[in-house]
Amino acid sequence: MTKGILYHEVTKTRRVAILILSVFVSSWLISAVVQAQAPVPDDQTYRIAKQLNCPTCAGRNLADCPTETCTQWKNEIKAQLDQGKNAEEVLAYFEARFGPTVLQEPPKEGTTAILWAAPVGAAIVFFGVVGVVMWRMSQRRSAQVAVAAATGGANANAHASVAADPFVSELEREVKDES
Amino acid sequence: MNPEGTLNASPATPAAPAKSNGKGKLLIVAGAVAAIAAVGVLFALAFSLVSQQGARPTAGSPAPDFSMALYPGYTGGLPEQIKLSDLRGRPVVMNFWASWCVECYKEADALEAVYRKYKDQGVVFLGVDYLDTEAPALAYLQQYNITYANGVDVQQKIAKAYRITGVPETFFIDKNGVVREVIIAPLSEAQLSASIDRLLNE
Repeated sequence: MTKGILYHEVTKTRRVAILILSVFVSSWLISAVVQAQAPVPDDQTYRIAKQLNCPTCAGRNLADCPTETCTQWKNEIKAQLDQGKNAEEVLAYFEARFGPTVLQEPPKEGTTAILWAAPVGAAIVFFGVVGVVMWRMSQRRSAQVAVAAATGGANANAHASVAADPFVSELEREVKDES
Repeated sequence: MNPEGTLNASPATPAAPAKSNGKGKLLIVAGAVAAIAAVGVLFALAFSLVSQQGARPTAGSPAPDFSMALYPGYTGGLPEQIKLSDLRGRPVVMNFWASWCVECYKEADALEAVYRKYKDQGVVFLGVDYLDTEAPALAYLQQYNITYANGVDVQQKIAKAYRITGVPETFFIDKNGVVREVIIAPLSEAQLSASIDRLLNE
């Protein structure tokens, strides 16, 4: 009976797992098919649009955005290409009209430069602090080693100085002669 | 059993955890310093952005000044390059719009109709084209037979100065350059007329 319930529970869990997995797989397949079928109007237009942001949806690429604004912008890219402009000129037009934030990679100047530099600065501070603290620790360790060596050396020197003492030498010789 | 050996071994045993504690502390300190530095930079950045943008103009606050190039053929009797402060002495109805904005279509006819009704009383209508490319913008102006002044908001400088939240948005500015009303919605002829009448009766 218990075995039956357990078996039932296991198969139920397995069924749910299979269902979730199949939902994931089928949605992935559908999205892959839709993406493959998505019309790419013009390679050059698409390539340029990939370098621009959608102006109304935050963080979205112009090339992949289906809004009316982005459709108009893509038409503008195509129209300018048809007029004989190259990619740089088209991008320059968009930057001049809508500002550098329209570019996927805005020039590293002003406020943008701070955004680019902040993580680098934080990393420099982090590794700088780690480096300084590690250097101090190693200095302290070598100082300890030096102290230990100096203490050991002093004992050895003490032995050496005793051996070199003429009185001690004389005493040792007399003891040897008597024996 | 050598007692000296025990003596020598005993300090070596606690040395290992002390060392790892030191490293852990070091990482915590370094991480904290880096995090504080990063947060400081972000705060400085946010502060500079906010100070650049200023406050959103509301009723009673001075209308931020700006210059704008008007579309050829859509100057409404004004020079091709206008400056808001040059229009002092005349009430200004400033409307942010875009050709891709569906809500803007709803008020386009009303704006033109009310402009024609009040233009002889010295009321200036200014259309500020937001995030738009030229061809569809001109097609829009042509479609709705717009005759009042319209220009492009280059790099969204005017939109940023007025801190708009979208389009359409309309600012009613009195003859002294003070914002009297802000409406964030498509306007009807009646609403527009009522707001302009208030400006004229001040």
